[in-house]
Amino acid sequence: MTELARKICMLGDFGVGKTSLVARFVRNTFSEKYLTTVGVKVDSRVVDLAGGDRMKFVVWDIAGKAVLDSLNQNYLRGASGLILVADGTREASLRAALNLLMQARDVLDNPACVLFVNKLDLVERWEVAPETLAEMRHSLPVFETSALSGDGVEAGFGELATRLHA
Amino acid sequence: MSEFPQAVENYLSQALRDRAHPLLLSFDAQWQLTEVSGAAGYHGLEQGGPAELVQQLQDLFLGLPLDQTQDLPFVELSDGRHAHVHLVPDANDTFHLLLLDASEEHERTQSQQQLGNQAVLAGLEKSRTLARLRQIKSELEQQRARLEEANALKNALFATLSHEFRTPLTSIFGYLHLLERGGGEGGRAQALQALRRNASHLFALAENLLEYGRSEAGETLLDAAELPLATLVDDLDAMFRPLAAEKGLALVIEAGEAPPATALFDQIKIRQVAINLLSNALRYTPKGYVRGQLGWDGALLRLEVSDTGLGIDAASRARVFKAFNRGAQHGGRGAGLGLSIVKRLVERMGGEIELDSAPGLGSTFRIALPALGATGLPALPQEQRRRGLDALIVDDDPDVAALLEVLLGDLGATTRVASTAAAALAEVGQRAPDLVLVDVELPGLSGNAAVFQLRSQGYKGGIVTVSANATEEARRAALAAGADHYLTKPLDFAQFARVVQSLGERAAPP
Repeated sequence: MTELARKICMLGDFGVGKTSLVARFVRNTFSEKYLTTVGVKVDSRVVDLAGGDRMKFVVWDIAGKAVLDSLNQNYLRGASGLILVADGTREASLRAALNLLMQARDVLDNPACVLFVNKLDLVERWEVAPETLAEMRHSLPVFETSALSGDGVEAGFGELATRLHA
Repeated sequence: MSEFPQAVENYLSQALRDRAHPLLLSFDAQWQLTEVSGAAGYHGLEQGGPAELVQQLQDLFLGLPLDQTQDLPFVELSDGRHAHVHLVPDANDTFHLLLLDASEEHERTQSQQQLGNQAVLAGLEKSRTLARLRQIKSELEQQRARLEEANALKNALFATLSHEFRTPLTSIFGYLHLLERGGGEGGRAQALQALRRNASHLFALAENLLEYGRSEAGETLLDAAELPLATLVDDLDAMFRPLAAEKGLALVIEAGEAPPATALFDQIKIRQVAINLLSNALRYTPKGYVRGQLGWDGALLRLEVSDTGLGIDAASRARVFKAFNRGAQHGGRGAGLGLSIVKRLVERMGGEIELDSAPGLGSTFRIALPALGATGLPALPQEQRRRGLDALIVDDDPDVAALLEVLLGDLGATTRVASTAAAALAEVGQRAPDLVLVDVELPGLSGNAAVFQLRSQGYKGGIVTVSANATEEARRAALAAGADHYLTKPLDFAQFARVVQSLGERAAPP
């Protein structure tokens, strides 16, 4: 059994739920209170992989921005995987996530990526249409997630682990 | 630039140390801690030891080169405090990590950033709320227009009815007066004939009004039973023959093959359809004939009523099935409800109606009705029955799920049941059904979330969302998530059947 460690960065506009998703994944907790992230918080969790291997996810929760500034570019260095996060109730945040992905690809060499479209528990207020996500699935794995309920979170991180392990 | 005097340098150094509480951790090339210096106590290292902090820093620099200067501002440490973390490489692959406390600075920056972000989010919410209010206003205006139209229709109905009731009643009272006065046998027979004709007219008018009222109050299940075709045709013949004779019209009402005992129909509604069509035909045919045929063609019950009457021009043919449009046929009398009721009844029974007509050349109405299921829902067409429509019911209430299973079974569908959104996604993942019926109020994620995920994962089958929430907003949310139809509880079974059939047709191969 081997344990691999990989740096993962959460990328997305502010208020989309990056910190809450990390809290759900690492500690299985959720807080209703919105607290803007400034700088970076690094958390980790070991996940089991198929074949008995294990992978340590070192997750960088970075301050939310719609564009990748030089500071965030600096934070990205050394990352193997990206979790792009959008808020289903704000269509603009989906465009921001895709924009961030394009910018991140200038900094990182072919990172593994998954897209989380968060706040599935508020689906009645979503601006993002199902057809849009159906189309996006052709180019990257998409997970509708709810940090509040936990839906989609494990599956999304699991998919990233699989892609990193491949 | 000249250097500061030593006293100032000392002061500056002390001031920075007081504010930043610098902590220096020195490592060899294998991340072994070789020395700790600076504000170890401030950073809590004297109690717990540095192991946890070292692990966190090791995670922080995962993938980063250790032989280059690094500056990572505002790193949250495991004790909740924040520090600017600097990596300073040294000789022989050793390096130092310098932590400068940034908790106060972080707090200030965070609070400013939070205010800014919240203002943006509040602005978004405000524009959404305004858009919602605009939408509600527009819906209210549309509703008001509909109510005004309904009110105008109601007034038109009263005005028409007043006339329509008075005319036969005037005749009835007139002939009753003549009968009371006495008279010859011929006059008596004529009076009784006129009484029967006017009473029949009032009866048909009252029946149509009742049916119209029922449609306003919502629909009920159909009354499925074996159809005594010959008896029905005899009754119709007896009802209309005197009127045809009086107008000098030839009347032929033919009974075709009777449907098999297993094919069930709602006799009352078929009778009502036939009465309206025959009564209209006789009313608008000044000379010639009226012909009716009712029979089973092996798959469908067919009713055809043709006449040599005034006919209907192309422009009026579309309007003729709408309520209060009797003007479509020149010189017409009646409340203008008959054909609208015929169309509605035929559709409720899952059938179809066609009209061939031209001014001066008479009209032919053709109706085709499928047999009903035992619960009074129109059965699926043979092709869909043969294929076996596959439906997934997503409902956590076992009673409701069981009821839907019975209703869908009656429509010829096979069913599966899932009680949560996640279970529904798994079921569809295993085998995609033709149709998904989903309750909005599920434990955990809502039915809308399940529908959204199904659609975003490419599910193309029919989806019907069911909810107790009858608001327009709830309907809109369900449709936006990807549902084809939104039905409210308690279920209108006839509407349910129509929706299932329409989606079944979509699922059927061409």
